[in-house]
Amino acid sequence: MSYEDKIDIRQLNIWFGEKHVIRGVDLKIKANAVTAIMGPSGCGKSTLLRAFNRMNDVIKTSKTTGDVFIGEKNVYENGTNVYDLRRQVGMVFQKPNPLPKSIYENVAFGPKIHKMAKGKALDKVVEKSLRSAALWDEVKDRLNDSAFDLSGGQQQRLCIARALAVDPEVILMDEPCSALDPAATAKIEQLIRILSSDYTVVIVTHNMQQASRVSDYTVFLYLGKIIEQGKTKGIFENPQHELTEQYITGEFG
Amino acid sequence: MVICLLAFFWIVATLFTGFGTLNVDLLTTSALKGGYFEMIVGTVYLFLGAAAIAGPIGVFAAIYLVEYAPGGKLTRIIDQAINNLAGVPSIIIGLFGYTLFSRQLGFGISLLSGWLTLALMILPIVIRGSEEAIRIVPTSFKQAALGLGATKWKAISLTTLIAAMPGIVTSVILGIARVAGETAAILFTSSVIITRGLPTSPFEPVMALSFNIYVKIVARGESPENVFGIALILFFIVVAFSLVAIILRIYYRRKQPWLS
Repeated sequence: MSYEDKIDIRQLNIWFGEKHVIRGVDLKIKANAVTAIMGPSGCGKSTLLRAFNRMNDVIKTSKTTGDVFIGEKNVYENGTNVYDLRRQVGMVFQKPNPLPKSIYENVAFGPKIHKMAKGKALDKVVEKSLRSAALWDEVKDRLNDSAFDLSGGQQQRLCIARALAVDPEVILMDEPCSALDPAATAKIEQLIRILSSDYTVVIVTHNMQQASRVSDYTVFLYLGKIIEQGKTKGIFENPQHELTEQYITGEFG
Repeated sequence: MVICLLAFFWIVATLFTGFGTLNVDLLTTSALKGGYFEMIVGTVYLFLGAAAIAGPIGVFAAIYLVEYAPGGKLTRIIDQAINNLAGVPSIIIGLFGYTLFSRQLGFGISLLSGWLTLALMILPIVIRGSEEAIRIVPTSFKQAALGLGATKWKAISLTTLIAAMPGIVTSVILGIARVAGETAAILFTSSVIITRGLPTSPFEPVMALSFNIYVKIVARGESPENVFGIALILFFIVVAFSLVAIILRIYYRRKQPWLS
């Protein structure tokens, strides 16, 4: 099967103050597939991920050079509308972070701030998003309950539904299962597989089993540099680089 | 602790000797006929107006300081100025209010001058309280909103601020409790001994419980027992506001699972 490239990163460098976190990364990410970025803690995985929707901009000391093309558009070009970019490139965070609102209002939040829908149309968007996140059946009778009444796994699926509600093309997931139990993790992983037929999914993980289970492509990042990238199967069965092999066999991490 | 408790109960016990001089009729009778009506309502007018002015300004100041201020030298100076403002003796605030609002700006001895002067006293309490309330809101809310493409202001106003609202409301109420019994600040700016009925515009002077106690004791040389009734009413108003603040805080703490 051949995929088109959705994200094209060229010579990306990111600093936080004096610290050079991402060092000259070149990377292409395929559309409608799951790409896992794995590597030991502190290697810059999350920072790389946050470059795709310019969430690093929020940190005052950050500095980015290089290009990130999403589709045809360079998101680091002057005049990029970051708010629209973040609508297009949704994000799911490490710890489920529902807003202090009802289940319905959590999902409706994005469409509301972007004035995408209201009234009946908004109800439909909420239902569709919750269905896509495999949460609808569990919450359809209590949409007005607080999002905090949900279990951790449900909260994370709610956050996925919330990201889907603004009609994104790319979904970034930053260790989305690290705060969840194995059963909830399995559900999210299953969901990620399903989502990849409609969306380009990039997932950061330091869990190698997870990378091998959910992803089509794997990128191994170490100290801000890409050591190896390719089809997940290839990377895990036949790593080309010594560091990758050491990481996969658990010699460090 | 023990001394505080003893002092508190002694005050309450003393004031309650004034309970005998009170009756419901007095509360609703005009001051022109020896009642307390205008001073009770006047006191409420004063602190509600002051809170209405200081509340929004204080909240915006707190948002600025927590979320937007660059954090340099200027921010530190502003920060220190807020602390200092909280520590300025009320008689000096009153004097300042009289000079600026009553005379320079020509508002005279009026409700408006009183509001502005009292607002200066509430402001640091609201700013500090709101800052605290905003700081304890998890940044994950703001992050979630930013991640969905919200602007910084939308992320703050639609998530952080809403989550911080209970703490903000509490801080405003504490501010009210602070100034409800204030005397010095309204001494020159807004209060008079007697008015014909309630003020009909912000530019008219107003009666107040605290001011009335002061005048009766100092200017008229009445014996303290005569004003214990008025003092008791004032005491109840202030304590009631503090209690409401405490109850609200407990109530909302239960409704904010992210705080635990």
